[in-house]
Amino acid sequence: MWKQPYFVIGFSILAFFLAGSFVYEWIWGNVPRQIHYVMENGRAVEGAPLSPSWQYPLGTDQYGYDLLGKLMLGAKYTILAALAVAASRMLIAVPAGYLLGTYLDKHRKWLSSFADSMHYIPLTLFAAYVLTPVLWMPEEGFSTTLWERIAIQVVMMALLTVPIVSILIANEAALLRDKEYILAAKTLGAGRFRIIRKHLYPQMREKIAVLYGQQVMETFIVLAHLGLLNLFLGGTKVSYDPLFGDPPMSISYEWAGLFGSTFRYLQGAPWLPLMPVLFIGLAIFSVSLMMEGYLRSKNPDIKRTRQTAQDEPVVDWNRQQLREKMVRLKNEDFPK
Amino acid sequence: MKALLNILIAIAGIILAGSLPLLIAGWLVGEWRWQVYFESIRTTLEGLWPIGDIAFFNFRAGQEMALFPNVFAYIAYSLEILFLALIVAVAVSVALTVMTMLLQEKVRERVKMALYFLESIPDLLIIMLAQLLVIAFFKQTGILVSKIAVAGDDRIYWLPVLCLAILPTIQLYRLSMLTFQEEERQMYVELARALGFSKVYIVLVHMFRNAIISVFFQSKKTMWFMLSNLFVLELMFNLPGIMLFLSGNMHPMGFLVTIFSFFLPMFLLYAFGEWFFVSRRNQKAVG
Repeated sequence: MWKQPYFVIGFSILAFFLAGSFVYEWIWGNVPRQIHYVMENGRAVEGAPLSPSWQYPLGTDQYGYDLLGKLMLGAKYTILAALAVAASRMLIAVPAGYLLGTYLDKHRKWLSSFADSMHYIPLTLFAAYVLTPVLWMPEEGFSTTLWERIAIQVVMMALLTVPIVSILIANEAALLRDKEYILAAKTLGAGRFRIIRKHLYPQMREKIAVLYGQQVMETFIVLAHLGLLNLFLGGTKVSYDPLFGDPPMSISYEWAGLFGSTFRYLQGAPWLPLMPVLFIGLAIFSVSLMMEGYLRSKNPDIKRTRQTAQDEPVVDWNRQQLREKMVRLKNEDFPK
Repeated sequence: MKALLNILIAIAGIILAGSLPLLIAGWLVGEWRWQVYFESIRTTLEGLWPIGDIAFFNFRAGQEMALFPNVFAYIAYSLEILFLALIVAVAVSVALTVMTMLLQEKVRERVKMALYFLESIPDLLIIMLAQLLVIAFFKQTGILVSKIAVAGDDRIYWLPVLCLAILPTIQLYRLSMLTFQEEERQMYVELARALGFSKVYIVLVHMFRNAIISVFFQSKKTMWFMLSNLFVLELMFNLPGIMLFLSGNMHPMGFLVTIFSFFLPMFLLYAFGEWFFVSRRNQKAVG
């Protein structure tokens, strides 16, 4: 796995963001640099939001905070949340799927049409609908702490697609269960649990890993969509002041919030919403790189064997012979 | 009969999901509010009955308005965009697949790889870039190719459809590439080739018929993904569609109406497609 360039590149991008995020906070603290205007020859030439320059590679936001700093500080929340959501989803869905595929096979049919109804509910909409009571600050302030809210959000988002994922795994397990070697194992007296542990799980390990990667990518997208709806990771600070109400704000600097709160600046300061989304895209890209690398490390020779078979001179020679013989036969059957 | 049972189970699932936020609000303070949950389901279902009396808050008009028949305009607009994008995505991806299948193995693998990585572009990025490009083009040339947001009773079509279609096209393209390649390994393709049919003919006539069925069945996931994208699209373009309508009416009834408005057409589409392909396959087996 570690020899696959794809995997290593993807891993290092993610690791860079994560490590960079913690290092940044450790060195510069959890408030990014702030600048209100740029002076040149004693005159102010540009006020916040500053466009990207050498000093501020990604520009600053409308309050003059360095965008790169904000993105680095927020990286850990977004990435860890996405990984955690996908991980807890798999932790629930994999055992549930195996249970459905083996012990509860009778109920698999109707449960799968139940899960099928989830395919008509857009995930983002569902997530927003379910998470609004958790994340939107009520008028009297939050009754929960930041970490509680993050934990609730992670669990909720994990639960949302558990039915679909576990039905997927159950169907896959049911397919495998009808294979002959499993029948043989059953005849030899293996119990259901042993079959799951020794046969079904090792067979599906790669599929499960790929599924995990897909869930991570999906979670990134949903987080970004929620950001658009002003539902940020760990809660949205809402100002109920009727006169000087601030726009809804993200409590941490996580990427979805950075995007969602600056989306209105798209035409004036395009780097503000574009950069967080670009970073999310980069994170998704690195996950897909890792998945590809992982798959290649698991079955590397499929392509190679097929190619060698084609290049083998003997095979070629055989084909030539066959063709000549067929031509000769044809000519004998239909003499000119 | 089976389809009827399926639709009933699906409807039950959607109704159960509609009142979930109440349960979750209960969890936040550490109690199980089963009673409130079922009460809410009951009142929602009861409220449905005199269907003409349902009134929703309309964020555009700024007051309560009767749901029917006003809501049909929203639903129709959303569905138009969704299905136009779907048709574009399917047509383009299948056409591209057929063309790519005629190329060499090596090129095909490259294309598949590129598609795989292109899939990781977030939809938000595509929408924002499209809006920026339209404005940049307008600034340069003074020609407004399309409006980038809806104000009043306007309708914009091709730009949202394009934005919505790009990612599904990429997904379906890769998916149908995989299916066609799978099909290529079948015996009948080899036989056809041995009989001397040209590559174009085999791909277009023989493989196409078989591959399109599994592309259809796998397109359900793409549809699901498109629904989420449609939601974001309506928000970002301010399209007067059903999703935007819901974001002003976040309560169980609004949720039900929204989900059902595209659940029914999509379910019909898939039920019909399944019936069509399955019956055709059976006919062939007999004849």
